[in-house]
Amino acid sequence: MPTVELEHIRKVYEAKVAVAGLSLVIEPGTMFGLLGPNGSGKTSSIRMMIGITIPDSGTVKLFGKPFRRDMLQRVGYLPEERGLYKKMNVLEQIVFMGQLRGLSAAEASKRGKQWAERLQITEALPKKTEELSKGMQQKIQFICTLLHDPELIIMDEPFSGLDPVNGALLQDTLLELRAAGKSILFSTHRMDQVERMCDSIALIHRGEVVLQGSMRQIKSEYPRNRVEVAYEGDDRFLHHASVESHKQYGGVANLKLSGAQPDAQPLLAEAVRNGTRITRFEVKEPTLEEIFIERVGGTVDA
Amino acid sequence: MHNVWLIARREYLERIRTKGFLIATILIPLLMGGGIAASILIAKHAKSSSRLVIVSQDMRLGEDLKEQLLRDTDNGMQVNLISPPSANTRPSLERMIHKKDLDGYITLTPVAGGRPQIAYRQGSSADLATRETVRDSLGKVLERERLTRQGMSAADVDSMMRPVEMSSSNAAAEDNTSANFAGAYTLFFLMYLVIMLYGMNVARSIIEEKTSRVFEVMLATVKPAEMMAGKVIGVGSVGLTQVSIWMLAAVLLTATPLMAHLLGAGAHISLSAAQVVFFIVFFLLGYLLYSAMAAALGAMTNSEQELQQLNMFLVMPLAACMIALPLVLNSPGSLAARILSFIPFCAPLLMYMRISVSPVPWYEIAGSIALMIVTIYAVLWVSSRIYRVGILMYGKKPNFGEIRRWLKYS
Repeated sequence: MPTVELEHIRKVYEAKVAVAGLSLVIEPGTMFGLLGPNGSGKTSSIRMMIGITIPDSGTVKLFGKPFRRDMLQRVGYLPEERGLYKKMNVLEQIVFMGQLRGLSAAEASKRGKQWAERLQITEALPKKTEELSKGMQQKIQFICTLLHDPELIIMDEPFSGLDPVNGALLQDTLLELRAAGKSILFSTHRMDQVERMCDSIALIHRGEVVLQGSMRQIKSEYPRNRVEVAYEGDDRFLHHASVESHKQYGGVANLKLSGAQPDAQPLLAEAVRNGTRITRFEVKEPTLEEIFIERVGGTVDA
Repeated sequence: MHNVWLIARREYLERIRTKGFLIATILIPLLMGGGIAASILIAKHAKSSSRLVIVSQDMRLGEDLKEQLLRDTDNGMQVNLISPPSANTRPSLERMIHKKDLDGYITLTPVAGGRPQIAYRQGSSADLATRETVRDSLGKVLERERLTRQGMSAADVDSMMRPVEMSSSNAAAEDNTSANFAGAYTLFFLMYLVIMLYGMNVARSIIEEKTSRVFEVMLATVKPAEMMAGKVIGVGSVGLTQVSIWMLAAVLLTATPLMAHLLGAGAHISLSAAQVVFFIVFFLLGYLLYSAMAAALGAMTNSEQELQQLNMFLVMPLAACMIALPLVLNSPGSLAARILSFIPFCAPLLMYMRISVSPVPWYEIAGSIALMIVTIYAVLWVSSRIYRVGILMYGKKPNFGEIRRWLKYS
């Protein structure tokens, strides 16, 4: 039974099509990446998924049944625009959010403290929210989202504005939650993160889905036609017949090979023959970013 | 319902715990009470301080006036009599006024067969209280003088001139009507102040949630209507708490001997049970109506500045009530007063005032309450729709057409 099932959901604001017929399925224990540049309809899709707005057409099913408000007790949602009550004491805030999601005050307080320990912010609990640094506030929100042990976790741009240490902490926590059988959906415009973490993705652009499927399947559709070479000396190999295009960044070159079944071997042989000193030679899949650019053309707002 | 209760409790606790609440709760009644006490004390003081001299050819008339003046001011004035005056009386009195040893003098010059000629020379032309007292006392003295001259005995004149003791209680209320009226007046202003203050508070806290983007987290579990209801109830409870504290403090304070001594016996505020009940009912209805309007305004705007521009929708009807207040007070039973007290936006204040100052038929009260409930329902319906759509909108302020479309969203 999939955790989330969207069928052709569509939303139009005034004259602008925010989401044009999005369908997706998220299975339990998987991580789903909703990708796209800013303003492509990610947040609008998420809002429809959890009933903040209602789609003009199409159906939303959670946990195998048509959407009902009481299902929200099983969903944890972290919006892109994070908000906390500034004047409120941190622990009280966590308890308040927990109570709204059906926990008792005592239980919410207990879990809040456990989470705080796990995320290393116990010392922040008795403080007022406005006294905390931005990173700490994000952690508090993270706790508020996860406190009621939701089966479906939805995070809109969870990594934006986090420093690398906290970003890694969040990433590890999400991976643990996935291992525990939760379904996780997060949206981002940072393709590299999705590549590392997600089982499947949907790539949307101007409200339309341009690419969708499991990570493995998408990657397999694209040949391993990227080569990264770090070299010294002669660079004539860049103009080898199998190279379709190349970009050079002083000492490192990114090449794209032509053909459906490209082979990098002749290229390497040519470089060696020319006496080029190769320090690194790597044949790679195209990155999601490259795939995306190939699909929609133009630039990605990353 | 559980969510509404949680949200209301959060709003309530957050506000009650602020220093601002504490300061307002203590400071506003202190300022109001202090102002009233000061004005009463000043008024008393102004009356008693004057030092006057009566200059009269007629010794008996002079004595009479002196006695009357002392009686009228409860021996507060210092009055001296110079009779008969000498040639340099006047220059020496002028010198005393100049040196501020004297506040004024009255010259009585008898005219054969008619009223004596009277001149009042006052040191400060701004001392209206003394001037009034002198005029009153003179009037009484001259009247007594005339009656005596026409052959009435002194005892008859005295009994005739004794001030009328008017008891002004109305049939239903207890005997101290003026205290009752003062209480109603105070409550009227309290209601006005609190509805205005806390209505705006609702709007402001919605804007705050919009700015801090909390509501999107909230909306993931709570319905917009629940959020709005919780907010309105929570903030309203704070207002009710504050008013209760003030009322309790006022009743306790004015009942203490110290205040009674300072302000005189008539200054205590007395409230009948019916007055309190009607106050609470009309306060709640009025607050609901205005806070629902404020919630819609808050949801439509993005910042305090924008809210200021729309403020008038809240302030204007309330201000209209203030303007209409004298009309209702002077003739609470008139057609105009009755119509005004039925308009839902004025009813909480004006109908309450009418009930306080005169008996109002029960069906009029019931009618105005029913009309208000219908209006509140309609305003809440519209507001909750504006709220639901508006809180998710950032950026530009909606125009009228957009708001109309919002109402149609399901």
